[in-house]
Amino acid sequence: MLVIVLSADDGGKLKTTLKVQWFPQAQFAGFIMAMEKGFYQAEGIEFDLLFSDGSDSPIENIISGEVDFCTAWLSQTIPSKAQGNDLVNICQLLQKSSMMLVAKKSSNIKEPQDMNGRRIGLWSGDFSIQPNAFFEKFGISFEQVPQSYNIHAFLADAWDVTSAMYYNEYHKIIQAGINENELNSFFFSEFDLNFPEDGIYCLKSTLDDNPELCRKMVNASLKGWEYAFQHKDETLQIVMKYCDEYYMQTNIALQSWMLDVIEQSVKYKTGETRSDWGYLKEYDFNKVCEILMNQGLLKQKPIYNEFFPGAQHE
Amino acid sequence: MNNKIKRPILWKLILIIGIPLFVVYSAVLIINYNLSKDAALKQEKAYMVEFIARNAAQLNGQFTQITDLPRGMSNIIQSINDINKEEIYSLLEQNLAGNSFIYGMAVAFEPYAFNKSKKLFAPYVRKGSDQFTHLDLADNSDYTNSDWYSIPKLLKKPYWTEPYFDKDGGNILMCTYSFPLIWDEKFYGIATADVSLVELHSYMQKMQKLTGYSFIISQYGTYVYHPQENTIMKETIFSKAEKYNIPEMREYGRKMLRGLSGVEPFSDPITQAKQWLVFAPISSCSWTFCGVVPESEILKDVNASILKQITLMFFGLIVILLIIIWSAYQITNPIRRLAKMAEKLADGDLDVQMQNIKGRDEIHELSVSFNKMVADLKHYISDLTNATKAREAVESELRIARHIQESLIPRIFPPFPNRSEFKLWAKNIPAKEVAGDFYDFYFVDEENLAIIIADVSGKGVSASLFMAVTKTLIKAKSNVLNEPEKIMQRVNEDLCYENDAVMFVTTFFALLNVKTGLLTYSNAGHNLPYLIKKDGLPEQIENTGGMALGVFEDAVFAAKEITLQEGDTIFLYTDGINEAMDVDYNEFSYKRMEDILKNIQGKMPKKIIEDTLEEVETFTLGAEQSDDITLLVLKYFGI
Repeated sequence: MLVIVLSADDGGKLKTTLKVQWFPQAQFAGFIMAMEKGFYQAEGIEFDLLFSDGSDSPIENIISGEVDFCTAWLSQTIPSKAQGNDLVNICQLLQKSSMMLVAKKSSNIKEPQDMNGRRIGLWSGDFSIQPNAFFEKFGISFEQVPQSYNIHAFLADAWDVTSAMYYNEYHKIIQAGINENELNSFFFSEFDLNFPEDGIYCLKSTLDDNPELCRKMVNASLKGWEYAFQHKDETLQIVMKYCDEYYMQTNIALQSWMLDVIEQSVKYKTGETRSDWGYLKEYDFNKVCEILMNQGLLKQKPIYNEFFPGAQHE
Repeated sequence: MNNKIKRPILWKLILIIGIPLFVVYSAVLIINYNLSKDAALKQEKAYMVEFIARNAAQLNGQFTQITDLPRGMSNIIQSINDINKEEIYSLLEQNLAGNSFIYGMAVAFEPYAFNKSKKLFAPYVRKGSDQFTHLDLADNSDYTNSDWYSIPKLLKKPYWTEPYFDKDGGNILMCTYSFPLIWDEKFYGIATADVSLVELHSYMQKMQKLTGYSFIISQYGTYVYHPQENTIMKETIFSKAEKYNIPEMREYGRKMLRGLSGVEPFSDPITQAKQWLVFAPISSCSWTFCGVVPESEILKDVNASILKQITLMFFGLIVILLIIIWSAYQITNPIRRLAKMAEKLADGDLDVQMQNIKGRDEIHELSVSFNKMVADLKHYISDLTNATKAREAVESELRIARHIQESLIPRIFPPFPNRSEFKLWAKNIPAKEVAGDFYDFYFVDEENLAIIIADVSGKGVSASLFMAVTKTLIKAKSNVLNEPEKIMQRVNEDLCYENDAVMFVTTFFALLNVKTGLLTYSNAGHNLPYLIKKDGLPEQIENTGGMALGVFEDAVFAAKEITLQEGDTIFLYTDGINEAMDVDYNEFSYKRMEDILKNIQGKMPKKIIEDTLEEVETFTLGAEQSDDITLLVLKYFGI
């Protein structure tokens, strides 16, 4: 199957696909801009960007060979690798976890311990790993309620604490008229629970068979990110165009905020230039493994160098 | 008069009337505008508040009805034991029919709450084109995680959802009102009413329009209704405030969320035009009804009225300007005519007259005065012309008299060119047209030369006539008598006879024997002549003691003799020389005269006379000649 996908067309161009884990938004601005600005084409890649609708798993898609590359979180890929799927991380894009818990000041939750006995909205699956580690760390028992993809229940005070992505839900709360100083925020990254988020993955066989393609793909993607950070207005216009095509219920102010937060995450403890980006830190890798093992989600820790064979870009 | 007038009266009038008027009018206009603007704003704000509140209340009524239905259903379902599926559908249909806003209604039960063998059951009825459609929401998804179910369940109270697109039940953009079925403190499920935002949109479109536009936001600021449909579900009032960077809009939004009403200003992010945001709560759903009105719309009438006033003012000012120009013309025209007349007058036209002087004002007075002045001037000039004519006639007579007088005294110089015994020169300069002085010289016989110099009292015509008489008498007497004292005596007697004018004449008479140089003379009150001996100083000759002729009939005259030597000069003069006055009334004096005579050695009589007159002229420079001047100089050479 791989052979089919990775076949070169008549012009000698490499056809490839990347699937990101959600609908179009500024979270993927770099890939969008790399495509829009022809950076993939310049590397000789005929590129296609695919968006998940949340109901499928891009990791499953690369395992099945439907797509060559995908973006995913360490909390998803490490267990998958341990289960025998031969994934490799070829670029750890986001360095800082945007996941957080938010409480209204009016609910009088100032410290993690204040969450004891409260009703807390949690997302299911991988999104619950960090919160659970957090609650375990502080020995918090609480009433868990399943959280949907909006913040309405939190706004309605149906629960006291909500899960949020700093780049998305947190700002939606602000856009619902609640001021930042009326909220207490708990960033997991500040509680030694920093799970680096979006990274680019492919099968090891893809990397082995076509290292050139991987290198070019990552190169072009990072160029796209660099371009997005340097040309935010243009980027936001294009991102909004993608959002409209996918009937996303979003606005440019939110996407602008998202792009800023994503930029901070890409540059977190790395640097300003794109050659500094994309490295998976062994500490973060170990931390994620440790939490996963604690929660019984991981039995055998993968070897760091096999999981992340090195930066696949210049 | 050709100089251009620098500040015409017209400009002065415009300056003192037009400009203050303009300033006052403008000030009134500005004040009026501000007052009208404030009043219009106040009135319009009140109207907008009322309008928004009324519409909010209307919507609130509609939504209260909507909220009543699920509550009512809850009570009915609770009251019926073992209610069956059909009964619920029928109940839903009945409720649904009554309200146009409601698109669909459901009763969603908690797992196993309706039927112990069926986990989820949520009968749903929605409006079709002409009939109701029955659905079970459980067929499509697990509704228990939906906002409309989970949130009111957790809250244990009714809840209005944010707008959402329902693909399971309604397939439409909607908001759902959820009423929890809590009986005996136990939660059984949710009764819902779906409000179609499409229906709300068409309701809003039909609503009486406010200038500008209106919109509705939800309890969290989400647009529920907005004329730009693409903002619904995407934007909140806060995201717009963020997008356009209008921090105050965020504050207004927060007021709305607190259920407050308000009228607040903001600037349009694109046009920067001032806008007014008016809002009032729709309390039954915690939404807010908002209106946005551009201030320009509010002030449209005020601006139109001000524009009218400005136009009126403009035309008013033009009328006033025309009046000013007309008034200025009324004032300046006669003045200008006067000025032209005066100019003509200055050029000598005495026939000018100000015509058609209307009114009884200062200009009229000035014109009358001018006319009087012209008339007076005319009279004066006429008198002056006559006087001048008369004077010219007299002067003409006098000129003739002078000619006659001049012809009386010897005028041919040198007088005796064939005589070598002496040289003689004389000069008479009258102070007036005719002189009272005279000189004369003539030979009475072969050897004896008569020399006369005389000065008649007074000047002018009478003096000259008296002089003519005297001269004639002297000449007549000297032809028959050869003794000077006797000649004097006889002339005196003749002059005194019937001398009613009481005139007199000082006379020096001498007879010079040109062969011997013997000079016999008799003086009748005249200034004594000087004898300047050759190489000597000037000396007055001795007096003979006689009185001026014409004073006393019986006067006695004597004679004396001197003998002139070769080179001696005798200098005869009238008091016109020694009494000649400069501008400061200083007399020329004998001393100055004698100083001249000290330096005449070697000079001939003509030159002596010229030098003397030159000195006198220099001395009297600038002063009028006060008396006749007569000089006679004789230089004796002998045989």
